[in-house]
Parts: sequence; C-alpha cells; structure tokens
Amino acid sequence: MRQRVVVAAALAVALGVVAATAGASTGRTQANKLTVWLQVDAQTGWPDVVAAANQQFQQQNPGWTVDVQYQNWGDHLQKFNATIAGNNTPDVIEMGNTEMTAYMATGAFADLTSAKSQFPNSGNWLAGLAKSAMYGGKLYGVPYYAGSRVVTYRSDLFKKAGITKSPTSLAQFVADVQKVGTMEKGVKGFVPMYLPGTDWYSALDFVFDYGGSIAATHAHKWVGTLDSPSSVAGLTAFKNLFDAVSSKSAATLDEANPAPYTVYSQGLTAAILGPAWFSCCTGTKYKSVTAQFVMPSHTAGKPIPGFLGGSDLAVPAQSGNKSQAEQWIADFTSSQNEQTLQAKGNIPNATNLLANTVNARAAARSWFVPQAKHWVDVENGNILRTMLAQILTGKLSVKQAASTASANIAYTLNQS
Amino acid sequence: MATAAGTTTKWSRRRSLTWRSVGRGSVPYLLVAPVVAVMGAILGYPIYSLVRISLERYGLFELIQHKGVYIGVKNFGSVLHDSVFWHTLLRTIVFAAANVGLTMVIGTLIALLLVKVSGWVRLLVTAGLVLVWSMPPVVAVQVWNWMTNSENGVLNYILTELHLGNYFQHNWYTTPFSQLTMVTTLIVWGAIPFVTITVYAALSQVPRELIEAAEIDGARSWRVFLDVTVPVITPVLLILTSLSILWDFGVFTQPYLLIGQPHITTGNYLMGIYLFEQGYVSANFGRGAAISILMLVIVAAMSVVYVRRMIRIGDVT
Repeated sequence: MRQRVVVAAALAVALGVVAATAGASTGRTQANKLTVWLQVDAQTGWPDVVAAANQQFQQQNPGWTVDVQYQNWGDHLQKFNATIAGNNTPDVIEMGNTEMTAYMATGAFADLTSAKSQFPNSGNWLAGLAKSAMYGGKLYGVPYYAGSRVVTYRSDLFKKAGITKSPTSLAQFVADVQKVGTMEKGVKGFVPMYLPGTDWYSALDFVFDYGGSIAATHAHKWVGTLDSPSSVAGLTAFKNLFDAVSSKSAATLDEANPAPYTVYSQGLTAAILGPAWFSCCTGTKYKSVTAQFVMPSHTAGKPIPGFLGGSDLAVPAQSGNKSQAEQWIADFTSSQNEQTLQAKGNIPNATNLLANTVNARAAARSWFVPQAKHWVDVENGNILRTMLAQILTGKLSVKQAASTASANIAYTLNQS
Repeated sequence: MATAAGTTTKWSRRRSLTWRSVGRGSVPYLLVAPVVAVMGAILGYPIYSLVRISLERYGLFELIQHKGVYIGVKNFGSVLHDSVFWHTLLRTIVFAAANVGLTMVIGTLIALLLVKVSGWVRLLVTAGLVLVWSMPPVVAVQVWNWMTNSENGVLNYILTELHLGNYFQHNWYTTPFSQLTMVTTLIVWGAIPFVTITVYAALSQVPRELIEAAEIDGARSWRVFLDVTVPVITPVLLILTSLSILWDFGVFTQPYLLIGQPHITTGNYLMGIYLFEQGYVSANFGRGAAISILMLVIVAAMSVVYVRRMIRIGDVT
C-alpha cells in the first residue's frame, strides 16, 4: 500500500513538472511568435513571396518565428470575430478592400498613421487601394495588391473564326464571340462565353460603364441608385450580353461553383470574364492558346470599368506585437515582393511599380463599392445576386428587380 | 392528550432524522451531484450567457470592447416584428414536416422489407445503410453537388440518357423550392438508415405467435400489420418521429453547404441558417442570441411530446 502511495506521489510530481515546463515553454514561444493570417491565394499563388518576407523578418528579429495561417474568404471574418472575443487575434490580418470599413469604424485595427513612412512606396500607393485602408483621416491598413478583371479567351478559336484583332467596343466583342459560337455549334454543351449570372463583380462593370452606380449619400443618408436610368441601362446591357452569348442554365450560378476557368479548361467555352489570374487554371490542353484582352466599353476605344478588387494588411488592435507586425508588413510589401506579385498576374500596390500589363491597362478605369460600415451586409445578404438572378431568369423586369435591390441596399446601409 | 400525542409524533419524526438516516437518504443525491454539476457547468453557464447577450446590443463594436449595452427585450421585439422571421419559421415547419414524413415512411417501408427478404439480402441492405449512415454530412454534400452539377452532373447525364427528358445543363437549384427539394433528398437519404435499423429492431420484438394467431383467425396481412405490428412498434415510431422533428427543425450543415452561401437569401432561409446569418455573418450577436432563445423555446415545446412519451415508457417498464 505504502509503495503504491509513493509511486502515485512520484507520478504526480513528474506530471506537475511536465505541465509546468510545458506551460513555460509555450509561454516563451508565444512571446516571440508573430501570427499572420493570409488568404489561401498566397499559399497557392505566391508562397515564395511569403517565405522571402519571413526570412527577412527573422534576420531582423533573431529568435522570432512567424506563424502564417491561411484562411478562406468565405469564413475568415467569422473566425476573426471569434479571436476578438477570445483575446487571441492574429498580429497581422489580410482583409479584402470591401471588408475594411466595418472593422476600421469599430476600432478593431491599430492606427498605423505614424508608421506610414516605414512602409515601402507608401507615397505612391494605388489611390483606390489606399482609400480603402483610411477611415476618419487615419491609416489602418497597408495596401497589399490589387487585381483587375479581363477577358481570358481561346486565341485558336478566335483566329479560326477569322478574328485577328482584339475587339475595341462591346458591340464588336459580342459579334466576335457570337461568330465563334456559330462556328462551334456542333460541340455539345459549348457556350460562346461562360458568364455566371449572379457574378455581380462582372455585372456591375456594365452599370458603371453606362454611368450608373450602386448607392450615394444624400443628406447623411445612403440612397440606392441601381434603379437610376443609367444603372438600369447598364443592367440591361448585361442582360443583353448574357442572352446573346451565355448558357441559360448559368442564370442563377455564381463565379465559384463551377469556377469559369473549370468550364474553360473542359473546352466548353471560348471566353470568360474575371481576374487576370484566371490564366493560371485554363488547363494544360489550352495553355498555349490562351490569351487575354481588356473587356471593351460600349463606348468604342475605352476599356469597361472593372471592379478593383484588392487586399490590405492590417494590425488588429489587440495584438501585443504591433511594432513587429508593422515590420513584417513592410518586409512583405517590399518593392521586390510586389514586383513578383505583378509577374504572377496581380497589380502591385504602388504606381511606381506598375508595368504595361493587360491587368494594369484594365485598371485604367475601375469602380469600387460604397464605403459604408454595412456594405459587408449587402454582400453577405446576396442582395445583388438575387437581383441578377431575377433579371436573367425573367422573373422580374430589370427596372423592378433594380428598384427592389436599391431599396434593400439603402435599408441595409442606413442601419445604425 | 392531543398535545402529548402531537409532541410524540413530532419527536418521533425528529428522531428518525439521525445522521445515519440523513447520510443514507442523501446518497442518491450525492451520486447524481457530479452529473448535475457537470451539466450545470456545460449547459448552465452558456445558457446564462446566451440570455444575457440576448438582452444587450452586442455587435462588432461591443465585441471589441468586450462589453454589451443592456437594451431589455428590444432584440426579441425586433425579431418578432421581422416578417423574415415568421416566413422562415413557417418555411422551416413545412420543410421539417416534409423531411420527417418522408424519412419515417421510407425508413419504415425499408424496415418492413428487411423482415421479408432472405438473410444475405438483409445483410447487404444493412451494410449499405450503415455506409450511408457513416458518411459525414459535409462529404455527402460534396457528392450531391457533384451529382447534380448543371454543367457536368451525373444525374443530368443519366436522366437524359434514359430519355426521361432533356436534362442537359439543367440547373437543379434555380428557385428556393427546387433548392430546398434537393436539400430534402439529401437529408432524407442520410436519415433513413437510423430509422430503418431502429424500426427493424422494433419489428423483431413483435411476438411471432401473435401474428400467427391473427393469421389463423383469418386476418389479412394489412389488418395484421395495423392491429398487431403497429401497436408494438408505436413507441419506437413516436420517439423516432420526435427526434427527427428536433433534428430537421434545426438543420444547418446540409442546406448551408448544398445551396451555398452565395445563394442563401431571405427567400430560402431555414431557422438554423437565419440564426447563423443574423448572428454571425452580420456580427449582430445580441439579435442572434435572441433568435436562438426563441428557437430553444420552440424546440422545447416540440420535445414535450418526446419527453412525456419517454416518461410513460419508463413507467411501464
């Protein structure tokens, strides 16, 4: 019996020691660890840029480790909210430029205004992107990269149809794509252009091309403007394009399922509209015959205004490693890294780094979502997708669907 | 005299409360105490927290401050005055009724079939059912997505090849009704194994001699089923139905993933999704808490039947 007690006591002491040292070692690592949340795009597209930044950071900060955790666009904000509740936020977080406002307005991010000069090229940041990281005259984020939207197309089919030049107007584009469609009529399931109906990023290009907009402020209140005559003209142009060149079954589909490049890589379409990096995944069979041009406007000679999507890097206010976080961001957004991003089909964060790429040319005309605290609720509530599905399935007229969406947007944006 | 008798009774009662008897009497409570404590910690605190947050304005700003602002029952008021809540509740009730009905009918029919078939067929069917049961909902959603994809889904291909109509590039998810119908097929498919296996177990408890006696008395098989089999398996059917109602009322994973976030709108909300969208996606945690309390009340009211039946079964045995 006595022996057993001794053994038990010894075990307890051993366990206690293990627990104590484990605690101590975790504590020590925590103190010298920088946690970074990036989107999976970096993991699949430019892991070398991440590795280069980490290496540079570790040289400047001996003994520090960087824990890069990759997140998905769909649920990263919900996860981030959970870390805020648990006082366990990352030290650096990548935010979509449309997601910034709600968090800046509620004080989730640290003020980086005084540190601005330490970020490379901060004097030449892309205006659109820099604006998305400012709130109340203060800087809460560092532009990371942007992306414009272009047409990715099968040059072999265009050539076969006798088209040798990129179209310079929307009407020309429709005629060209239809020509290819007629030529490929015999291919089962082939659509001249694969356009997922509820892809609001593409649809709103037309709204802005016709001089329309999503919402505007009037006497400190948001007013929906999708039902204005110019917006309705733009939406009608989108419907006409869809009816002329796309598949009816795509009227209620979104750009994620199936991804347009998947349909393209199966040889079922001649053209897709989307981010320039779509060229990544067009399939080995069509890699050599894939090319890109800027989607033309209905006004000949101009590009259509494209959604300037992009990301910023922010430091959550709860982070205990603010200066290290700022340093990592500076390393990550160095000129060299931004140029590598450009080589991979993105737009770098500063004008002095811009090269003459199809992506940069497309960015010459661009649009952005209203900078409102509740914009993110408009996106999550799928107000725009519902409107597009109603228009393309013929359930409602363009004017009716746009009026309903406009009212919903105003209601959502004006919430307290 | 009366007083004396009263005193005696009082005294004897007091006397019976010795330390030993107290100790003996409290043993059951002591044995239950750890469970109560654990349940209290696991369920009690979260429920207290939930109620507290439901009475507060608790959005992103409050989350960052770690402090909500007390606003009384305003969250409940705004939810109950929201037409989306009532539409969603009605839709969820119809959806749950359809799912439970289909699950119970098909599940019971397969169980009855299992009784009739030969041993190896039964083994084969049971193995198939267990495989279905063991598939995680997220994986099942992927399989469904793959089969019903409008661009290259195998369902469209087979239906077209069988000349059952032209389903080439047919989109199965165009309206809220069609979306929820697809979700129903997935949920019923996943729920049938549990019902079938449990009903089959119950059917094996029906005394053979009762059936034989009824048959000798000239009862037809339908009458035998109604008068002999059904009364024996009724408790099991009732419990299965009650459980299915609870599960299908609060279902989240299958509709959320199969319909997909980009297509979730107020037109196809179910209660579980409504709660998630309002509470988490819109970061309005106070309102989300109020919705979940309302759901808790509705589910509790529905489970009264289940609990009463359980208690009655407990009394009989």
